[in-house]
Amino acid sequence: MPDRESDIDNLKIYSVASSWGREFVAAVCEDCDWNFLVMPDFQTMNCPYCYQSSLKSIPEGEMELPNIQAPELVVPFHVKPESMGDGIKRFTTKIPFAPKDLTSQNLLSRLCRMYLPMWLVDTEVQAKWWAEVGFDYKVVSHQAHYDDRHGGWSSREVEEERIRWESRLGRLERNYHNISTPALEEDLVIKQEMGVYKLEKAVEYQVQEIENSFVRLPNRDTKDAWVEASPAIQAAAAEECRQAACADHIRQFSWKPQYSNNNWTLMLLPLYTTYYLDAEKVAQPVFIHGQTGQIRGVRRASMKHGQRMSFIILVIAVFIFLMSIILAVASVALPILLVIGVLGFAIALLTAAGAVLPIALVWHFNRRQKSGPPRYFS
Amino acid sequence: MTESFPPPGYISSQSVIDGIEVYLPAPLEKEIQEQVVDFSCPQCGATTAFNVEDGGLTCSHCGYYEAPPKEVVGKGAQEFEFTVETLERSAHGWGGDRNEIACQNCGAVTSVPIESLTHTCAFCGSNKVIQRQAIRDILRPRFLIPFKIEAMDCREIARGWLGKSWMVPSKLQNIADHTNFTGVFLPFWTFDSKTEADWKAEVGHTKTKRYYSNGKWKTQTVTEWRWESGHVEENYDDLLVEGTNRVSHLLLDSIKDFNLGALVPFEPKFLAGLQAKAYEVPLERGWEISRQQMREHTRQVCRAQASTPKIRNFSMHMDYSDESWRYILLPVYLATYNYADKVYQVMVNAQTGAIAGQRPVDWTKVWLVFAALLAPGVLLGLIGLITIPFGGIGAAFGFLGFLLLVIGVVTGIVILRKAFKFDDE
Repeated sequence: MPDRESDIDNLKIYSVASSWGREFVAAVCEDCDWNFLVMPDFQTMNCPYCYQSSLKSIPEGEMELPNIQAPELVVPFHVKPESMGDGIKRFTTKIPFAPKDLTSQNLLSRLCRMYLPMWLVDTEVQAKWWAEVGFDYKVVSHQAHYDDRHGGWSSREVEEERIRWESRLGRLERNYHNISTPALEEDLVIKQEMGVYKLEKAVEYQVQEIENSFVRLPNRDTKDAWVEASPAIQAAAAEECRQAACADHIRQFSWKPQYSNNNWTLMLLPLYTTYYLDAEKVAQPVFIHGQTGQIRGVRRASMKHGQRMSFIILVIAVFIFLMSIILAVASVALPILLVIGVLGFAIALLTAAGAVLPIALVWHFNRRQKSGPPRYFS
Repeated sequence: MTESFPPPGYISSQSVIDGIEVYLPAPLEKEIQEQVVDFSCPQCGATTAFNVEDGGLTCSHCGYYEAPPKEVVGKGAQEFEFTVETLERSAHGWGGDRNEIACQNCGAVTSVPIESLTHTCAFCGSNKVIQRQAIRDILRPRFLIPFKIEAMDCREIARGWLGKSWMVPSKLQNIADHTNFTGVFLPFWTFDSKTEADWKAEVGHTKTKRYYSNGKWKTQTVTEWRWESGHVEENYDDLLVEGTNRVSHLLLDSIKDFNLGALVPFEPKFLAGLQAKAYEVPLERGWEISRQQMREHTRQVCRAQASTPKIRNFSMHMDYSDESWRYILLPVYLATYNYADKVYQVMVNAQTGAIAGQRPVDWTKVWLVFAALLAPGVLLGLIGLITIPFGGIGAAFGFLGFLLLVIGVVTGIVILRKAFKFDDE
């Protein structure tokens, strides 16, 4: 809920200020429907996800903000722009008829920091549990070798690792902290595209970490997120039960849990975004994993460039064709010219056929790319 | 959370994490056992013993009868893996040399050898079964085949066995009636394994070739050697290896055709009043003997795969897998008898009635038979010699005599060889 109005008209400063350590404005991109918390002077900025239009502030009452406490943890940006050169260069090369705007310099100069949210839940659990726990042990086996030429039998002992499974059950009364669960509908696609984050690198939230950054707002409420949180809690409980039973493995873990005092907070994951303009002057977003430097985005070849090249080749073909006709006419006087004319005619035909290649190349390359904005992660 | 927790059959176990309770299945009651089980009649206090006829415990004093356990597990009896821990424990043996047993009936303290699983008190005659401690649980006998044949029947079997051969002295059949057969449970290991072997060898193929030499066509047999290879998979189920060195392996091998389908879980009742021995041949040694049998058999199977029996430079690599073992007790009757100041052993399979043993040879009988076999030949030969002056008839007698002599010598040698073998058993 807003607690005061900023100096900018229609801009709402939300109550997150008190817990987040500074003021933010909730904004939305009307093209891609992504919501962000941004600095109050955001108005001139494009959407850092689709780059199709400017962000619009969300007037009070028109959007129900999720119950956002200040983030508890932040995974800091590990990859610095200075070290992205090679990756970005690989991204921009090997594109047939690349758009002029797709250069390393452009991508680096337009880099934008964004944080993606993840829910963290703390809960108290009372449960009865059942499982099979496994204990490693070694068995002795043998191998034998026989050779007529080397004195008959020889054998050797080999040890093999095996698991002995035993049933266990018990009761559990434990607190589980910071169980992470997706806060975005697109979470799975983002992980598939960008790769997973090493959550153990997360640090305690400090406002300096998110200076000059966009913070994506969750689009899943905690009720939805709980569906994925509870298996994660169960997995954590299974692991603890394994340790409690001094076992090496656990399987077929089942339990009857009773949860209480659930507390939801956020963890922020780092993502760079940037863009280039394709031949049609449409902004194509590019995403860079903030921990690993993995780059993903649509690499679009320029159809205009391809068409231009095709046209040039066609003009050449027409020129050769005309020359061949002239030579053919001249062969009335000098018959040998007829041979050159026929040869020229064949070359003109081949060149004309080759004129289709640039267009086909661009079409084929663009066809293999993911669909472009506004929804890359969908 | 109102229902009882943990459910029946579970006991608390140590947990290394606060807030988590761990329960594990309680050991089976069977496994928590007294070290020595005394068999006294609950009605009259006299001694009870296993009765072969009905397979239960009976009191010969008051007629009390306790029904036998019904469960037969047969070849499905639990098998164990060769864990490092088990092999080490088996090699270590039982520790110590003797057990001190205090009789609960009369209070007498008796020292019994460590490998004895049963004991009958010399003072009051009460039967005891000595059970091993839980820590050595895996290495105590878990299964056995109960006695099916009574000691009295062994005499009949022995009489038939002794009477089967004319070479043994006729008096032996009377001795059988007075021989005491002692029922003993002997320790055995059973082993299971799969073997997979890859072999290769040069295999000889014989061919006949014709060639021209010195103006003639000749034939020559040559062997062409070609490399062959193959793969063999064999399953070995319940290979029996004796766990004791105290009895003749030769005799034991002859009666070892036990039907393991009749295995039952170990119950002290089955041992009451009988003798039983624990193993002296450790598990690892038993397994080694079994492996040698398996690998030799697998080698034969590999060689049989070759396209001809002519094989040289044979080599194979073999892996054992799914190895398992059991420690079981099998019933036999042992007896000894004296004849001509010599002691002879007899062994009866107490499940099937198969008998093996040593039998003396009545050499007078054997030599008489030998002489009788030679006599017709010698006699006819002599007649032939006498009648030679009469021409052809003498020659005919001589030839027939020689023929009968040859037949008599050959038959006699066969009988003598059999008699020597008999004597060596």
